[in-house]
Amino acid sequence: MVNRRNFTLGTLAAAVAGAAAGSWSLGALAQGGEGRVVALLFDSLQSPFWVSSNRILKQKIEEKGWSFLEAVSSLDDAKQFDQVKSMLSRNVDGIVIIQTDANAVIPAIREANAANVPMVHFMRPPAESDAKSITIVADNRTLAGDVANFVVEEARRLGGLKACVLVGDLGDANSIERRDGFLDVVSAHGDVVEVVSTIPTEWDPDKAFSGLTNALQANPDINCIFTPSDFLLPQIEQALKIAGKWVVRDEEGHVVLAGFDGDEGAYQRLRDGFLDVCGVQNLFLGVDLAIASFEQVWAGSEPEATQMARGFVIDYKNMAERETEMWGYHVLNG
Amino acid sequence: MPNVQAIWRGVDRHLVSLGAAILVLALVLCVVAPGFASVTTLYDMALALLPLLILALGLMFVLLVAAIDLSITATVAMTSVIAASLITRNGGYLSGELGIVIAFVSFILVGALIGLANGAMAAYVRMPSFMATLGTYLLLGGAAVWYTSLHTSSSSIAGLPGAFSVVGRGSVGPFPIALLIAAAVTVLAWLLVNRTAFGRWLAAVGSGQEAARVAGVPVQFTILGAFVICGVCAGVASIILTARIETGSPVLASNMLLDVVGAAVIGGVSLYGGVGKIGGVILGVLLLTMLDVGLRLMGMSLFAVLTVKGLVIVLAAAIDGLRNRMARR
Repeated sequence: MVNRRNFTLGTLAAAVAGAAAGSWSLGALAQGGEGRVVALLFDSLQSPFWVSSNRILKQKIEEKGWSFLEAVSSLDDAKQFDQVKSMLSRNVDGIVIIQTDANAVIPAIREANAANVPMVHFMRPPAESDAKSITIVADNRTLAGDVANFVVEEARRLGGLKACVLVGDLGDANSIERRDGFLDVVSAHGDVVEVVSTIPTEWDPDKAFSGLTNALQANPDINCIFTPSDFLLPQIEQALKIAGKWVVRDEEGHVVLAGFDGDEGAYQRLRDGFLDVCGVQNLFLGVDLAIASFEQVWAGSEPEATQMARGFVIDYKNMAERETEMWGYHVLNG
Repeated sequence: MPNVQAIWRGVDRHLVSLGAAILVLALVLCVVAPGFASVTTLYDMALALLPLLILALGLMFVLLVAAIDLSITATVAMTSVIAASLITRNGGYLSGELGIVIAFVSFILVGALIGLANGAMAAYVRMPSFMATLGTYLLLGGAAVWYTSLHTSSSSIAGLPGAFSVVGRGSVGPFPIALLIAAAVTVLAWLLVNRTAFGRWLAAVGSGQEAARVAGVPVQFTILGAFVICGVCAGVASIILTARIETGSPVLASNMLLDVVGAAVIGGVSLYGGVGKIGGVILGVLLLTMLDVGLRLMGMSLFAVLTVKGLVIVLAAAIDGLRNRMARR
């Protein structure tokens, strides 16, 4: 007979049995791999840049004969701190971390220091502190400045530009450096490039879209946009289409579009004539530097605390020569 | 010889079932999750679950009166940035030990005020609690980011003094400070629910407001009190979370809402009001945290962990719904 007691007991017993069976089979899948173990701790996999980083890191780790464990914190600093502790409990040999907040990651670095496990910040530096870690970082400021130099050249060719600058999350050092690198150059050439709007996106595509849509309505003469990350390009494209400004290069109404990252979306739009210039992050070099840093630490030497993975600028003029160096090219072409 | 049947009748079968489920899960995880059965992991897990426990206990009071507080995690974030702005070494308003004491008080006070506002809307304005607290959730989420931007060019307020951060990881003798705080909150919550008239009022209001009013229960005051306690619990949880990452963050605990509601529901707190036990909430938090830690140790992705946890929570809510239906027959 089904009564409340039997119903509750039966359901819970079935749930536990199901969870146990599921855990058992999934656990078996998670085993395996000998030698060094590297933890890959991402805060999200929401942009092509981080998805590709994740994929290339795993490839390189497997090529070395190591294994990896991975976790995604879903932009939750407290959860990522717990994930670091979990990985340390599992005796990993190294940690690659992409934190959300430059300040909140400091206690996690201290935990890794206490366990004597090297921690590499991949393409997103932590805040300054007494905790020791290795940072692989793109030369964001210089690269954004180089992108801006191209924009200035275009402005001179076209007789002046009115620019809208999108900004990432202000807690992310990369955002600040890209913003400052771009603004440093264009503000020195205020005679040809006037920044009429700055949009804080907090790396949120919805905020980027609504902010840009509003900016285009308030300033219909905007004819240049800089985005600090290519993952916002679909929203920019949508906003420009709504404003009737999604026009290919050298045609009336074209908006000079400058990107940063070098993902497959940027490559496609550069090839199709909508994107004019892009600061390409050297993802392959960054991964090699991270792997080499672990090897140095394990061999007893001390790698440089901050290592630069120098990127390059690709534009519609040099595209034919440099496109194969762009990681987005390889994503798109397998 | 004791009468076994009589003892069994006096036992809370939901708690026993939940305890058995936790035991089985622990045994399974010991086998399949590498590193689960280690002192370090269990210690870390015990510390990790404390903020969730405090939040779930706070929410239990609101659920008992057949309401819900969706702004509980936003309250955590708001108290975090306000208190951090007081004591940050990067231009905080206060300094020294007195500053830290005032910061602790501000966590509690701000939490209580937010709870008071939520409670007033639910009890006196008679807004549906989910709508009132959804509004507060959005308001606080935006306000916390705005408040942070007034105090730093970064997205979080760092530079908190060591004397504050010690709450997150320090110990008094063998006992972590966070554990002592959580234990104190748990004991106080148990006393309130089981040893005071207010505890009886909570159950009465949750079981039926009209009947409670006829019986002389101050219904509006009880609802208001439940929300204030929930806000205070959010402030206390925020102390531990903020101290742990040594940063006041406007997005602190932003992903915890499902876990908080889920832990309470798994623990047998009814979404329909009037039913809930402290012991159940503790076990609910333990089960959810064990699942989270165990599955992560097995190397499962966040998405897989979320799926499994979501399934368990949906199952618990379904059981609650069916039990409520059976009870009404």
